[in-house]
Amino acid sequence: MSRSPERRWETGAPVVAIAVNRDGSHAAAALGDGTLWMIDLAEAGAEPAVVPVHDGACLALARDIDGGGFLTGGDDGRLRRIAPGTGPVTLATAPGRWIEHIDSHPRARLRAYNAGKRVHRIGVDGQPDGPVLEHPSTVGGLAFAPGGQRLAVAHYGGVSLWWLKGAAEPVRLDWKGSHLGMLWHPEGTHLITLLQESGLHGWRLKDRAEMSMGGYPTKVRSVGWTTGARFLATGGADCAVCWPFTGGGPWDKRPLELAAGAADLITVVAPHPTSPFVAAGCGDGLVLLAALDGSPPAGVAPASGSAVTAMVWSGDGRHLLYGTEAGRLCHIALPERAGKRPG
Amino acid sequence: MPAIPVTVLTGYLGAGKTTLLNRILSEPHGKRFAVIVNEFGEIGIDNDLVVGADEEVFEMNNGCICCTVRGDLIRIIGGLLKRKGGFDGIIIETTGLADPAPVAQTFFVDPEVAERTRLDAIVTVVDARHIAQRLADSHEAEEQVAFADVILLNKTDLADAEALEAVERRLRSMNPFARILRTERCAVGLDDVLGIGAFDLDRVLAAEPGFLSEDDHEHDQSVTSVSLAGTRPLDPAAFDLWFRTLIQLKGVDLLRYKGILAFAGSDRRTVVQGVHMLSDSANLGLWQGGAERVSRFVLIGRKLDADALSAGFAECAAR
Repeated sequence: MSRSPERRWETGAPVVAIAVNRDGSHAAAALGDGTLWMIDLAEAGAEPAVVPVHDGACLALARDIDGGGFLTGGDDGRLRRIAPGTGPVTLATAPGRWIEHIDSHPRARLRAYNAGKRVHRIGVDGQPDGPVLEHPSTVGGLAFAPGGQRLAVAHYGGVSLWWLKGAAEPVRLDWKGSHLGMLWHPEGTHLITLLQESGLHGWRLKDRAEMSMGGYPTKVRSVGWTTGARFLATGGADCAVCWPFTGGGPWDKRPLELAAGAADLITVVAPHPTSPFVAAGCGDGLVLLAALDGSPPAGVAPASGSAVTAMVWSGDGRHLLYGTEAGRLCHIALPERAGKRPG
Repeated sequence: MPAIPVTVLTGYLGAGKTTLLNRILSEPHGKRFAVIVNEFGEIGIDNDLVVGADEEVFEMNNGCICCTVRGDLIRIIGGLLKRKGGFDGIIIETTGLADPAPVAQTFFVDPEVAERTRLDAIVTVVDARHIAQRLADSHEAEEQVAFADVILLNKTDLADAEALEAVERRLRSMNPFARILRTERCAVGLDDVLGIGAFDLDRVLAAEPGFLSEDDHEHDQSVTSVSLAGTRPLDPAAFDLWFRTLIQLKGVDLLRYKGILAFAGSDRRTVVQGVHMLSDSANLGLWQGGAERVSRFVLIGRKLDADALSAGFAECAAR
């Protein structure tokens, strides 16, 4: 393969999260020193704009409602919005709290964030929208449903499913244990949570059928849907474990094990949005691209000695960005003939 | 990356935890501590690394009935690790009503916390005048003494010598491992409370002399300690079976335990320590040539049947 254009920066602070905006023009990396690095994906020669957004560390990053901007949360208790070429704007503050989970939805025209056990919603105008949502324990993750009509909030003991309009009480999906993150199926049919106890739990919403996906040597911190939601790709093992979701769900099926044999555990997975392969980042910094057909994985980056902590594709699948705990931030632009696995 | 040491400060309300915390933070040691507190505002020191805890105790869904952890600590430590530059240590202040077990267990059960931090010691501050009453009426006060690696017997200026002796005897009978330091206004050297390494197996070995104390037990108290000793080498399989059965059946009542054991066929000392059902062991250091190989095992807990434990331990001797 001809070497893809790659840009690399040593930021000096742990890379906490990376996101690409909806129109695909920019990527943002949120760092442990409170800065946000804004990367212009089209201008290969441009250096990132480094913007201080939080005192302390950035803890969360998400796309904002519009096509261009991002939302960040920090351990200074602030929720901020930042768009390319503009300075950050504070949308909310939670004194003495950390803002660790954020999501937004363009159709719902809402942003949601947590402060401890409470989830707050903010409209496009920056004003609170709807009552504060209370939970029995500190929120471990939140996500709007793909259709934008519901909001799922993970916490100890399960998930609260809120209708954004209507019912004042949430539907509870119960499962004992601490739920630390969540992911909706792109069709809104299943909900997956990341557990404290080294595994995943999930529900098929139409009949509340439950699924437990275990066998991991450590906590699963990263999950994502492969193209067409055929598989749920997961980190937390020495291979990228991919659970089949065709034909109703993963019940009684064996998962695919991609990129097996890495020296360290896979910390982050990023399935390609349009082609059947998965990028996997490891605890030693190694980054691999593995095809779902099981052919041998291709190396993207050698082990750097520092764990991959964040990795994301642009929506068109032409840009891969990843970051490490030691602060390396990389942008790889794939050749024009995107859609095929490079190799 | 070296593991970050974590010190847990416990103690009943009013015993002097905040005084100790302010003392640690204000000394000119040049170190940077992240402090996890249960109540903002009590710390007089300006420190940008003070985080409020929610004290959320969670049961693990792993089939281990006594396995509770502090979910908020897992979350907070995960967040602190994302900070640039890091810090030299983490100090966790618990509320007076907190049970130390979930705090301690968090450092063994969560993979990320276990990898990146190490529990250095549990430091318990007790009020010399009131601790006897607290032990009588509070389950948590008993736990805090039972779990301690260092006990600051504080406010000694407000108690008479005879009462202090009695209190110290009582604390010693409940917890033979802990170092008891008498203090006024928590005046101690930082080296006495930080960098103890109390959960390191090699430190268990270094602390061996303190193991020998065979104190008079008070049978009216619920938390007691039992000291077992034997000069015949142990059979590894027999001990393993006895010990595993013990922590399975009595793990809830076993608060802490430490042992230095001589196994038949081994020239090394085996060290074991644990909290409830979570135990840790290793073979460390050769037995000295001429010295007698004595296995010692000390357990702190509730409803401990000293005779049964003693008989069970004796049965583990190699034949």
